[in-house]
Amino acid sequence: MAPSKKKHAARKACVIPGGFTVLSLQFSLDSAARHFLYVKEHRVRAEKSSYRPLDRTLFVLNIPPYCSESVVKDLFSQFGSVVSVELRDHPGSSSESGPKLSKVFRPADKERFKVGYIVFESSSSLAAAKSHPHDDPLVVSTEERPVKTGVQKWIQQYTKSFIHPDKLQLTVDSFMQDYDKRKEEEAERQRQEVEKQQEDEEGWVKVTRGHKGAKARPHSEAANKRTLQREMRKKRRKELMNFYTWQHRNTQKEHIAELRKKFEEDKQRIALMRAQRKFKPY
Amino acid sequence: MKKKQIITEEPAEMHPSDFSHDDDDEEEQLDAPVKPKRIKVSEEEEVVYHPVKLSRNDLYRPPTAEELNHLKEAESLFHCSLLKMQMEELLKEVALSERKKQQIDSFVKTVTKLLETVPASPEVEVSDLSWLSGAVKVPFLLVPRTTKGRFHMAPPASIDLIGSYPLGTCIKPHVRVDLLATIPADILHPKDVLNQRYPRKRALYLAGLAQHLKSSPDIGTMRYSCLHGNRLQPILLLTPPGKDSSSFTVCVHVCPPPGFFKPSRFHPQRNNIRTEWYTGLQASHSESSEPPTPHYNSSVLGDLLPRAHLQFLSAIRSQCSAFSDGITLLKVWLHQRELDQGTGCFNGFLASMLLAYLLMTHRISNTMTAYQLLRNSLNYLASTDLTVSGISLAKDPDSTAPSLVEFHNAFQVVFVDPSGHLNMCADMTACTYKQLQHEAFVSMQFWDDPTVDGFHCLLMTPKPMIRTSDHVFQLCDLVKLQASCKKQNLLSELMDHSGNYFLTALPFILSLLQQGLGQRIRLLTHSLSPDPEWSVESEAPKYKAQPPLSFGLLLNPELVASVLEKGPPADSPKAAEFRQLWGSRSELRRFQDGAITEAVLWDGKSAYQKRLVPKQIITHLLQLHADIPESCVRFVGTMVDDVILTGNEVPTTGEEESLVVVQSYDDLSRKLWKLEDLPLSITAVQGAHPALRYTQVFPPEPVKLDYSFFDRGKACRSLLPKEGKPCPHYITPITVICHMEGSGKWPHDRIAIRHIRAAFHISLAELLKKHHNYTCRPCPTHLDVWKEGLVFRIQVAYHREPQVLRESVNAEGLLVVRDNEEAQALEMATIHKPLLTSTLHGLQQQHSCFGAVCRMAKRWLAAQLFSEDITEDTADLLVASLFLHPAPFSPPSSPQVGFLRFLRLLSAFDWRNNPLVVNLNNQLTAAEYTEIKNDFMASRESLPVMFIATPKDKKLSLWTRRAPSVQMLQRAMMVAAESLKVLEHQLMDGSQMQDVRVIMRPPLDAYDVLIHLNPKQVPLLRHAVDPPAVSFSRGVIAESAAQPGGALPVIDYNPVSLYLTELRDAFGDLALFFCDPYGGTVISVLWKPKAFVPAPFKTSQMAARSVEVTGEEVKTIPNVEAILEDFHVMGKGLVKSVEARTEKWML
Repeated sequence: MAPSKKKHAARKACVIPGGFTVLSLQFSLDSAARHFLYVKEHRVRAEKSSYRPLDRTLFVLNIPPYCSESVVKDLFSQFGSVVSVELRDHPGSSSESGPKLSKVFRPADKERFKVGYIVFESSSSLAAAKSHPHDDPLVVSTEERPVKTGVQKWIQQYTKSFIHPDKLQLTVDSFMQDYDKRKEEEAERQRQEVEKQQEDEEGWVKVTRGHKGAKARPHSEAANKRTLQREMRKKRRKELMNFYTWQHRNTQKEHIAELRKKFEEDKQRIALMRAQRKFKPY
Repeated sequence: MKKKQIITEEPAEMHPSDFSHDDDDEEEQLDAPVKPKRIKVSEEEEVVYHPVKLSRNDLYRPPTAEELNHLKEAESLFHCSLLKMQMEELLKEVALSERKKQQIDSFVKTVTKLLETVPASPEVEVSDLSWLSGAVKVPFLLVPRTTKGRFHMAPPASIDLIGSYPLGTCIKPHVRVDLLATIPADILHPKDVLNQRYPRKRALYLAGLAQHLKSSPDIGTMRYSCLHGNRLQPILLLTPPGKDSSSFTVCVHVCPPPGFFKPSRFHPQRNNIRTEWYTGLQASHSESSEPPTPHYNSSVLGDLLPRAHLQFLSAIRSQCSAFSDGITLLKVWLHQRELDQGTGCFNGFLASMLLAYLLMTHRISNTMTAYQLLRNSLNYLASTDLTVSGISLAKDPDSTAPSLVEFHNAFQVVFVDPSGHLNMCADMTACTYKQLQHEAFVSMQFWDDPTVDGFHCLLMTPKPMIRTSDHVFQLCDLVKLQASCKKQNLLSELMDHSGNYFLTALPFILSLLQQGLGQRIRLLTHSLSPDPEWSVESEAPKYKAQPPLSFGLLLNPELVASVLEKGPPADSPKAAEFRQLWGSRSELRRFQDGAITEAVLWDGKSAYQKRLVPKQIITHLLQLHADIPESCVRFVGTMVDDVILTGNEVPTTGEEESLVVVQSYDDLSRKLWKLEDLPLSITAVQGAHPALRYTQVFPPEPVKLDYSFFDRGKACRSLLPKEGKPCPHYITPITVICHMEGSGKWPHDRIAIRHIRAAFHISLAELLKKHHNYTCRPCPTHLDVWKEGLVFRIQVAYHREPQVLRESVNAEGLLVVRDNEEAQALEMATIHKPLLTSTLHGLQQQHSCFGAVCRMAKRWLAAQLFSEDITEDTADLLVASLFLHPAPFSPPSSPQVGFLRFLRLLSAFDWRNNPLVVNLNNQLTAAEYTEIKNDFMASRESLPVMFIATPKDKKLSLWTRRAPSVQMLQRAMMVAAESLKVLEHQLMDGSQMQDVRVIMRPPLDAYDVLIHLNPKQVPLLRHAVDPPAVSFSRGVIAESAAQPGGALPVIDYNPVSLYLTELRDAFGDLALFFCDPYGGTVISVLWKPKAFVPAPFKTSQMAARSVEVTGEEVKTIPNVEAILEDFHVMGKGLVKSVEARTEKWML
């Protein structure tokens, strides 16, 4: 398919519109078919992340599921030494937040094709990668660096899923300590805020706009809704129903219209059943 | 690239039309386009359900008084009026069209004309057939060969239409018009009633008519048959020529002139067939000591009366306007129950007579509607037993007419005609009447139930025997019945039935079975043998040519499986009777209470074997008393059980194994409750696994491990699968949810809760190890406990966790509650699944074969590759609905019949327009049913295609939210219908190849790629539909269960499912993957129809794609070669070969 069409670009980098360079990748030396990686330097206007320095980061599309971060690192080391590799399901800015979790508590990664951000040590490696000829494939699994797949991999996975209870307990304990500490800090901060609003000796209250999340009253969507409903009810109670003659007439009219609609619906339902031969007993 | 669409073509009706209807639209709909559209709908009868859109003018125009009344009525009487409308539609559907009537009339006219011109022939002896030109045979079995009398041909004295057609009660689809030709009086002799002389003349006359008609080009086909299987009353079936030939049949009957014979000659106690003539032996019987021949008498008498009956019914019909409609409904009802055809049936004629009787006795009035007539007649049938208290239509019978008692002595069912001489139910067996009564009773039960679609159950659902009766068996070689007649000394009865040994032996066999099965069954039914039909050119078929006779048993679930038949005490006078019945099987036994009684003990260790106890009884009794060898009895009741059969020494279908699992779980649950020293107490321990509700297809069995087969883990005392060896035995973790007490100590943070749960798992593990020495493996998400050869997976749950998962703080610091998938999944696992499990566990306690039906249904779904779409829980719910809402059947009492009904439900339910309501624990009220239905109709388009409502889930259909899709449901329905057809055919037809597994082998040619797996790495290989000859050692020692403690086995390690998950994760956008989870060695891959459409280049959608550059435009297509290569790479060691069926799709 695709390779045959690009024969003319032999020993040359293949660049497609959009600025992506096509690299080919095969699982092992004797595999017949190849995947194609699409690489480009990482360039995003808005992002100012220290993880992905603009001039040294390579943006890679279509990394097969059997390539883990370490495998990708090895693969791209031929263009220059690699600082870090980040594999993600979808392209986008990094949004790692929250406390760092131990591996066992993170949800399992899905085995799918990924996009990668590879940070090289020097920007020259970027150029090297981009000018790599497309018919010289990268090889995932070689003799000196075999990649386990299939049964071997699953056995390895199963083996690694074991964690010693003591170790697990340690992880839990350290996390909970952290958590308690954070909670305490939070509580401490809130207490201070409240204290600040206390009267001082002369009876003065210092009023400040509080920090985000330090509201005095509980603030939730449900509460908001309740309040709104209460208001609505109040309003409705004040309104008079069927007071004027025209109001009464309207209500009756609506009722008949409703009945008519229902009747039509029933009639149609029967017609539909007839059309579907629902009445043919055998 | 092009690709054929296989499954994905959906019929129009499944395509939801846009259903976004709200009242705001009304304003915009004021102008023109609305009205034409509506008219179009009603004219063309569009199949799609469009929302009704009335224009504003239509809706708000001033109402007339009449319309107002109409609307009010529809509002208040909806349930009833819908039923009424439905019945009216049904009547329209089965009634004959005017065109058809014209066709019939013209054909009848032709036939009449032809018959009137039958040429006369010279008089000859009855046995002389030379006047017949050999082209036509006489439709009569000449046993004995000769009888006295002379015969000649002459045109019929009169030709009239009789039966349902002139009465206007003739219905589609088997339209039969009865034409009566009267034999001229000079052919007959008043003494002809004796020794079959009249029936033979009748047959000769019919042959003469046939010979004359044969030369005419106006007749299509001509065949002989006989009236209700009575060989003394042959009839001639005519069809019109040309293309209408199958649309209706004209039956030519022949009868003597009215009043030719004296009715008193046919008294049921008179003899009209002499033994001397019949046996050919000289006997010294005087006429008075000859045995009576009631059946022969009534068959001849029946020929005398058809005109009188027609007159009687016409008179009744003119009084009651809804008479014909009432009969039509009753006929449809009877037809659906297979009661209206064959020997000894309750046909349309009897139905009309019954209605006439009810009218005459003022049980129904002349002004009633068809709906009320049907209802009253069913009510009457249900409450009256004609086998003990017969009824008579005769107002003032003459003195020679027999009394009801005399009728009862001669016949099993008594319903006397208006003349007072004829029992119209002469051929009916008591069993058939009991069946009729039972059906009427069941119908009356669900008629008023607002939660049941009464119309559908009553008149639309066919009830073939194989789907109605719990057990079915067949007598194949009917010749053997001759022997049983001999054995039971039934010669005089045989004479009465003119040698029909089958009819002679039937009542005897039925009573024998009834006696032997006793309390084990609620109802014994038998098939009515269909009327034989044969060509006019061939001889009448012998009795042995009849199809096998089927018997159906409706079981009494409490008693049927008992292996002991306890008889009377040894010294009681009844003991001899008991011994006589059971023969050598009866033996004296001493019981624990000291009683010494006669008893019969049947074999049966497992539930599967106990289900076969009726088979043992039947074969034993038939062999003993009727000389019918076991080879002639074909027992159909447990044939499908084969597919879930396991067990090494004793064959079982999983009931015993499930019980072991449940007992082990109960023990664990008790032990968990007793644990102390936990920081929070346990509030609930609930099972959440199919094995704990008896519905796991192959329930986990306790195993003992061969340690040398495995690698040993370093960190924990656990075993690991070894590379190079076959995949180890698959050990199913049985999920148990353990709810912890709510407390302020629980953190209010999702990740912290996760950690606390892990801590609970660790401490539970420690306690279980300390107190009970169970090997445990705590993980963050669960705790595996290795207990007596089984693995339980305990998950600690905190009831507020889903709530915590839903809460989040948005940018303005507002606490918002948003539903998300994670919370739904957690609720499903910790709340809904345990609840379902316990509810269904309860159902199993009520209906002992519930679990087996579920297992069979799920085995079928898995084999047909539907297990991903119709999940285990969905399938269990579907089966539960069969037990909870059995109407018009009774709850299944054998797995096979349950399975057949499951297939029927899946294939015939109108998923598009109806919700399936499963009223678990009977919690829903009628009002709630309506509410569910209304909610469903209002938002049909946004709801899952397969909608199942339960008391705890009325609006969402939780279990089918994710799957199946429209296409998969469509396919499942199709496959289910086909499987049902094949299976029923196989079960009922003994001559077919007997292999019920045919329905478990899906054709694989519809798929694009087949991935063949290495059987060594398929752990559940032994459960495959066709188990392979070779088996692999999987590290299990076949001995009793393991002791507590010991190393932890390899749990939940199944390379096939791991591989499938990886494939679906990686290529789920491009293809669908199917595999039989129970030992399937092939993964079938189907490309998605849109997968090969070139797509524009997008950085987020580049998975496994390659680019094609044309100028500046970049398109991407899947890189198929690499994908196929990836199938290999990702399943290394498991995949044997990848077979790309490129002929189905092009590269």
